[in-house]
Amino acid sequence: MKDFDLEGLSREMPYKMPEHFLDDMTERVISQIGKQQRKQRRDHKIIALFASAASVAAVALLFLHPFGGGLDIPDYDSISQCASVDDLFQNMTADELGVYSMMSNYYGN
Amino acid sequence: MKREEKNIVNSQGSLSVSDESIARLLCDDNHVEEAVRLIMKKYGEQLYWHIRRMVVAHDDAEDCLQETMINVYKYRSTYSNEYPLSSWLYKIATNESLKLLKNRSGFTLSVDDLGDSLKDSVREEASPDADETLILLQEAIALLPAKQKMVFNLRYYDDKSYEEIHQIVGDSVNTLKTNYHYAVQKIKDYILEHQL
Repeated sequence: MKDFDLEGLSREMPYKMPEHFLDDMTERVISQIGKQQRKQRRDHKIIALFASAASVAAVALLFLHPFGGGLDIPDYDSISQCASVDDLFQNMTADELGVYSMMSNYYGN
Repeated sequence: MKREEKNIVNSQGSLSVSDESIARLLCDDNHVEEAVRLIMKKYGEQLYWHIRRMVVAHDDAEDCLQETMINVYKYRSTYSNEYPLSSWLYKIATNESLKLLKNRSGFTLSVDDLGDSLKDSVREEASPDADETLILLQEAIALLPAKQKMVFNLRYYDDKSYEEIHQIVGDSVNTLKTNYHYAVQKIKDYILEHQL
């Protein structure tokens, strides 16, 4: 059977690379990278600006409502002040109990 | 930059700056541009031909090489000194070539179905004075499945060891050897069949 000596063949390519191609490519890549770097720096500046604005807003809020004192947060002294679950069920109307039982059947308790 | 890291061009005109120095520069934001220039000088031609052997057309190789270098910049923080810089670069270039071929094949075909169209491009792209056997060799390579093509090109043209090819392609050394063996057989058959 005939065989072909692949190893004896030249490693040359039947194509050509255009002249100065690699130099042009290098400049193009450098320019692209420069654009990306500038965009990255701009994005970082915007993020830093937003972060500073958020910090200033947080500090201002702290001064206006120190430790939540000015906010209308319900103050429960003890757990006894909360209605028990049994009380809630006793105060339910027939319609509310119907809806409750329908929902618990639907979600499988 | 230290004195020994300066670019040294030897008597053959090739760049002898070490990969470690290039990798260090690449990870330093102030020296990225220099690192990219050094990579293009040292590996640009190898990467271009590696891509061109995969995608055949010069225009496609141009797009792939540019994308490869942009990815080198984008993902420079993922480079690990565990592997040689050249393997990392070849890996990115290989992935870019496969991505381009995948886009070309669309949703319905696989990269391996592009063989005939790549084979036709070989003759269109070949220089008028190109040796017929070299054209036949490229046609035979174009018809190979992508994996066999990658392994064959890296071994035959780039003289890569199976260990290096493993770092680039990812398959086990035994699988790579099998792929190379099949590729050689198919190429020989094609050339014998088509040679005048």
